[in-house]
Amino acid sequence: MPLDVIMPALGMAQDKGVLLAWHKSPGDPVAEGDPLFEVETDKATMEVEAQGSGFLTDVTASAGDEIPVGQTVARISETAEDTGTTSGTAQDSPSDEETPTSDDHQASPAMPEGEQVIMPALGMAQDAGQIVAWRKAPGDAVTASDILFEVETDKSVVEVEAGHDGFVAALLAEKGEDAPVGHVIAIITREKPESPFQQSLSAAGKSPQPAEATKSAEPAPANKPAPASRKPAATPKAPGAAREGRILASPKARRLALERGLDLARLAENGYPQPYHVKDLDTLAQLPDAKTPALSGAAPSRYLSADVAAHGFDQFAAWAAEEAGLTNPGALLAGFAGVSLSHTGITVALETFGKTRLFEVRGRRLGSLVEVDPESGPAPDLKLRDLRFGHLNSLQTGPEEIPVLSVLAKGENLTLTLECAAEHLDASAAIALLSDFAGRLEQPLRHLL
Amino acid sequence: MTSKTKTRTRAKTASGPSKEEALRMYTQMVRIRTFEDNANQLYLSGKMQGLTHMYSGEEAVAVGICEALTDSDRITSTHRGHGHCVAKGANYKEMFCELLGKQEGYCRGKGGSMHIADQNHGNLGANAIVGGSMGIATGSALRAKLLGQDDVTVCFFGDGATAQGLLYEVMNMAALWKLPVIFACENNGYSEYTKTEEIAAGSITARAEAFGIEAFQVDGQDVLGVNELSKKLVARCRDGDGPFFLELLTYRYHGHHVGDINREYYRSKKEEADWKENRDPIIRFRAWLVEQGIAEESEIDALNAQIKQDAKEAVAYAEAAAYPGVEEVDMHVYAETDPATLRAGK
Amino acid sequence: MREITLSQAVNEALVEEMRRDPTTFIIGEDVAEAGTPFKVLSGLVEEFGTSRVIDTPISEPGFVGIGVGAALTGARPIVDLMFGDFIYLVMDQLCNQAAKQHYMSGGKLSVPMVLRTNLGATRRSGAQHSQSLQALVAHIPGIKVALPSSAYEAKGLMKTAIRDNNPVVIIEDKLMYQDKAPVPEEEYLIPFGEANIKREGSDITLVATSSMVQVAEAAASILEKEGISAEVIDPRTIVPLDEKTLIESVKKTSRAIVIDEGHQNYGITGEIASRLNEKAFYYLDAPVLRMGAMDVPVPFSPVLEDLTVPTPEGVAENARRLCAGEMIHAA
Repeated sequence: MPLDVIMPALGMAQDKGVLLAWHKSPGDPVAEGDPLFEVETDKATMEVEAQGSGFLTDVTASAGDEIPVGQTVARISETAEDTGTTSGTAQDSPSDEETPTSDDHQASPAMPEGEQVIMPALGMAQDAGQIVAWRKAPGDAVTASDILFEVETDKSVVEVEAGHDGFVAALLAEKGEDAPVGHVIAIITREKPESPFQQSLSAAGKSPQPAEATKSAEPAPANKPAPASRKPAATPKAPGAAREGRILASPKARRLALERGLDLARLAENGYPQPYHVKDLDTLAQLPDAKTPALSGAAPSRYLSADVAAHGFDQFAAWAAEEAGLTNPGALLAGFAGVSLSHTGITVALETFGKTRLFEVRGRRLGSLVEVDPESGPAPDLKLRDLRFGHLNSLQTGPEEIPVLSVLAKGENLTLTLECAAEHLDASAAIALLSDFAGRLEQPLRHLL
Repeated sequence: MTSKTKTRTRAKTASGPSKEEALRMYTQMVRIRTFEDNANQLYLSGKMQGLTHMYSGEEAVAVGICEALTDSDRITSTHRGHGHCVAKGANYKEMFCELLGKQEGYCRGKGGSMHIADQNHGNLGANAIVGGSMGIATGSALRAKLLGQDDVTVCFFGDGATAQGLLYEVMNMAALWKLPVIFACENNGYSEYTKTEEIAAGSITARAEAFGIEAFQVDGQDVLGVNELSKKLVARCRDGDGPFFLELLTYRYHGHHVGDINREYYRSKKEEADWKENRDPIIRFRAWLVEQGIAEESEIDALNAQIKQDAKEAVAYAEAAAYPGVEEVDMHVYAETDPATLRAGK
Repeated sequence: MREITLSQAVNEALVEEMRRDPTTFIIGEDVAEAGTPFKVLSGLVEEFGTSRVIDTPISEPGFVGIGVGAALTGARPIVDLMFGDFIYLVMDQLCNQAAKQHYMSGGKLSVPMVLRTNLGATRRSGAQHSQSLQALVAHIPGIKVALPSSAYEAKGLMKTAIRDNNPVVIIEDKLMYQDKAPVPEEEYLIPFGEANIKREGSDITLVATSSMVQVAEAAASILEKEGISAEVIDPRTIVPLDEKTLIESVKKTSRAIVIDEGHQNYGITGEIASRLNEKAFYYLDAPVLRMGAMDVPVPFSPVLEDLTVPTPEGVAENARRLCAGEMIHAA
């Protein structure tokens, strides 16, 4: 077997040496102990001896070259012929790069190449999530919106979408395991994997995390849990949680809040997750005065918003005015809003330019909308503020006696907001209401179907 | 006070070792040399990292002494510790694994060359602090005496370590308390990169004699002589006659550490060649084995080849072996204590 | 500007100061012909002879004690401790003797001695040759501690150390000896207690010492690509510490991570973090984080050893999370 001739480690602070001269030529016979070449190090030179006998072949370094310690510079072979196989690189001579992290001898399966699914950051104080269940098995086909797994966090369970189309090539954690945020826990490949597998996190921990270097800093948006958004208002916390104990805030945020006369507790009351930092003070400053809402500050509240393109509704309003003689777009909005809340028997209060009109929405058809006298009519179930022609581009005024939908113009879009007390609508009902309303405004014909 | 130093010459064959003992001593010396040849190569080729120090040339010291010990006898070793480890009975595989930082190493890869230890054979470990183990060895001997155990501890250290004050503190106590410890000073002539005569005033054995410790200067290249004397001193230690001090005159063939290649400023190539050619402990003992009719040249060649093969296999095994898992990194910082032992009244 | 290695920079500083002041001398193990195992002192014995470049036996407490005595009586010794780990061996001489002479004598005696040694893991040198022990000496009043982070600092701080009238421990990173940096040809000194703002930034302050300055700079580059602006500050001496620069920076950025290669427990990072906490509390928008070496003896096995020291990726990740307002250590 040929023997590698290697640039030796020459001194404590030395990681390379300069090859000054070869004492043998390629093809020369050499005996163990023969001086092979001369190296310069620490301003002195030394001779490197042959470690075995044979013929010098495959010489890859020449006089004057500076060569890293551990690199193969030639071979001593059984014949004088070049074998032509030496790469002359660190391949046979692991230097620093190879030794520390490679784990060639680990029994764990090779990591497939594909899209990585990571444990998403689910809460501010969360650095790991427990996998409650895998919804897909290794080898299963998935689409980006398929639920891939369920995670428990903050005492609630969140479903997480796959985020990529393809096949589950590897699941890198077992049900019941805690995976650190940002940790790759699954791999989705475009092609059907030959040998999909699952392993526990502890086993996976032994093998290198796939493609560490390319892992993005933040969880990919597609991997974010479907229902949970980090916008504070979309996932208001129960007021109890917000008001338990002291408010968590940075010293600087506290100092500035004090200087500016702001009460950090109001962020908590409005469902913003803690802890608070300086950047949250702007939000706090924009919160409406706490005394205005009819409900006590203690009441839990919901705030949702959505954007839709305006042109769908504008076209529809023009058509409705021409074909059906419905010249009040506000009334159309009221009808849409009422039907979004319920299909029958809803009374909607419409506020436009400071005036309030009352409509009974009896059904989906355009004609089933009846204006009633605000003085004598039934109490409204829903308030609709038509602010399309004002200058406001966002608002948050807190819950009132009944749920309030607002419509604001924002460039080519309409911004819709829904505010209500938690007791009026539960979270899913609130989401359904606003989603439905937004859908109708975007595609008004849908309203008629 | 008259000097008790005795200069030892070649052992008489009459009280010499049996054939098996002699062959075993030869085998162990070749195993050390072969181990070091491989370790040196691993280091030079960048496969083994860190700092390492070759024992080649000093084999007769470790083997002569350790062959006089049992597995329950303890030794403390030095930064130049591979020889002591092999001589005390360690296996190639676990040793190479340790040198390469692999999980199956004697210290699970956490110690490396300078901290290799083998508790099963009584090797309390190499030490990267010069003279760092003198207290440990003396403490081990104190334990043997306190607990009525009859094992002996040998403290290996180099001539350079005689400059450490700790030696004088513990020799004083060992002598006061008659502890079963043998201070074995391997004098290879160089304290790192400096001639010993430039850093050690007076006589080395006289240092021990000042405490009333019986001291001997021995030819450390003569495995028979070292072994014969060691057997006697170990026996006397067991009888409560310790401590003892040995100065073993020997030589290291390599630099202070692997990579200490330009050393002509402190010692000449001529001097190195002289020791290798004329005083090599393995060559000398091999000649003696043949002369005594204990082994033929061909048998010895076969033995050498077998050891070379064993080393090659162990190196290949260690290179392929797994590194420790990352979870090992904060394991073993603190030893566990059984909570039951912490209850009052137990 | 020419670039030289950290090793050459130290060598130059010693040569210049030994030429300048005939009361200076170097003492330690294998400092003369060998020029130390890292070859930092190569050539000095040729110029100054063995009377001023003195090889000692392997007797660390002995030669440090000798250094203290020489300094006390009018010389300026530069004591060379081959590895920082041997500080343990010399603690009595350094901390009980050198550190206290000036105070105990009511200011009448002083110990103008330099102890130069090194720090740094990941050389695969095992648990007894890889430690970064600056916290041990920085704890003792009476000793100044300098931690050069490049060839430039190594030279400028060494010259100041030699001229300082106190015991100064200067600890070089042994992995950096071959690293080059621009060093002026003309003479310069770096005053103690003056931090160096290596890189300006507005979102987070990375206070890093010695070997960790490179790590912090690499982290800052990573963060820059993500739109996070990190300020990197090298205190250069931890005793005295330039609190003012650190506090001003934290007042600006509101966030800080302190990085040092010593163990994190009871270490340099904790001390600096605590001062920022005490003196810039109302400017902090996030907890000040400490990042030191893992609290384990340094393991030999490369796969384990690499886990024990802070990395640019680790620093960047923590910086990212602090800037995002995450609670890294949830109560």
